[in-house]
Amino acid sequence: MSTAIVAAFREGLERGELLIQKCAECRKLNMYPRYACPFCQSENLHWQRSTGRGRLHSFTVLRMGAPEGFEADLPYALGVIKLEEGVQLLARLLPDAAGDWGSYVCDQAVELAAPPTTQPQYRPCAWFRRSNVSR
Amino acid sequence: MSESGPVKIGKGSPEDPVFVGVGELPSGRYPQRSFIGDLTLVALRALKDAQMAPRDVDTIILIPNLHSFNDQADLIFSRLVEELGLNGHAKASFMVHSGGSTSDNAVRVASGLIASGHARTVLVLQCERWGSANLAEMVTMLSKNGIPGEWELPTGLQFNAIGALITRRYMHASRSSPSDMAAMCVALRQWAQLNPNAMYKGKSLTVEQVLASRMIADPLHAMECPMLADGAAAFVMTSAQNAAKRGIRATVRIAGSGGCVSHYSIGQEADLAVLGWPTAAKRAYEQSAWGPKDADFAEIYDSYAAVTAIAVEGLGLAEGGEGARWFAKNSTPGGKFPCNTNGGLLSAGHTGVGGGMALLIEGVRQLLWRAESERQINGCERCIVGGTGGSYMDAQVLLLERVASGVSA
Ligand SMILES: [Zn+2]
Repeated sequence: MSTAIVAAFREGLERGELLIQKCAECRKLNMYPRYACPFCQSENLHWQRSTGRGRLHSFTVLRMGAPEGFEADLPYALGVIKLEEGVQLLARLLPDAAGDWGSYVCDQAVELAAPPTTQPQYRPCAWFRRSNVSR
Repeated sequence: MSESGPVKIGKGSPEDPVFVGVGELPSGRYPQRSFIGDLTLVALRALKDAQMAPRDVDTIILIPNLHSFNDQADLIFSRLVEELGLNGHAKASFMVHSGGSTSDNAVRVASGLIASGHARTVLVLQCERWGSANLAEMVTMLSKNGIPGEWELPTGLQFNAIGALITRRYMHASRSSPSDMAAMCVALRQWAQLNPNAMYKGKSLTVEQVLASRMIADPLHAMECPMLADGAAAFVMTSAQNAAKRGIRATVRIAGSGGCVSHYSIGQEADLAVLGWPTAAKRAYEQSAWGPKDADFAEIYDSYAAVTAIAVEGLGLAEGGEGARWFAKNSTPGGKFPCNTNGGLLSAGHTGVGGGMALLIEGVRQLLWRAESERQINGCERCIVGGTGGSYMDAQVLLLERVASGVSA
């Protein structure tokens, strides 16, 4: 994955920023980032930093059958996040205080978080946690 | 907005594309069977069912396999033409692919070719060797295909997690309990007891057993996840005129079709508890001038129970939010509205792209009144077929109806 938009998105994640692509022509937001604006076909595309706030549309905790290279991450949770900017993405979820994900429910508020230090390997994806949980 | 859909030819038209025969081999683990062998045998079964020989076929459409790219190449490069002795005779042999909805799209392609005169008789073939393949390799393949490498692969997403994301949202939106979801699996297992080709024939299942099985991807238990299977299926389509000329009395026509591709990435689906079903259903009903109340039964893709619960709601068979409970109550053997009468992917076996194919040919078989007597729906005339592929990227609806002696029965 060596294209410029992937690199820019991932560099943002490494700085702790979730970047949303913004079309300079029609001003619409594109998530996932596109190679041409799907609304007006412009190639004049920039970035906007997300507030990192959103709602959890759905989530799961994978306990068995990890893809190759993800075995050491098990168990881990994935969620579909609807950002307050009106776009959405798939992300990883931090475990709650009990070390599992039992306190998560659909539609609750979530926010961008740093990857946990216990994670065996850095993954170039966004992490979220419940908004009302202090760490 | 109504879609134009495939070439639409009225009932009774000589060029109306119709199903005339189906063939199937048992699903399960059959390491002694071979890929090309199964394709050959299932082709001959479908042709025999259609009262035809290989030389009656001018076009072969191949449904892809997912177990081997080498075997895939044999499909793409016309090996079945040679195996069936059609060298120099076949006009075309090619593959169509949209994952689990391939069978629905293959019907559209075959129909268009027949209606427009580009083909007279089309043989559609499928074989999958998932049950005998290396499981770890299949899991790895299913964790990469259909998932955007740039944006979602780094999260560790895989197929059961995709099913779980849909199931969680569906259970939340519909207030369906774990028991409601498990009861759908039990209903499918009851059908499998009546299907000699089903992987789980002879193996009973209870709600308690489902809920006691190991958690794989919350909220999915092991027994709510599909089992990878070997399998093969085929069907034959020709024009109504050619069927009549050959003295074939019972056929199945396509009254309408509708589709909706709602996403590619699971993270981009606007509502995981709805998917593309309401739009696809509306398009199909508009084209056919019949609605959910006109159907006698349905055959709908069910790699996870929630996928089918969402579909029966979108198709207007069940009230919104009642899909899972409606299915468990009405769609069992002897129920008011039979669904997935072969046992579905969850109990007949997940034969990859063949899961949709098995449901489609079961619908055609029922409408031809050729199912084994213990599961044949007496006097059935209309069937809703529903398919979906990839990360449930699309909803595909085919409305099938029986035609006997040249007129609709
Ligand atoms: Zn634009």
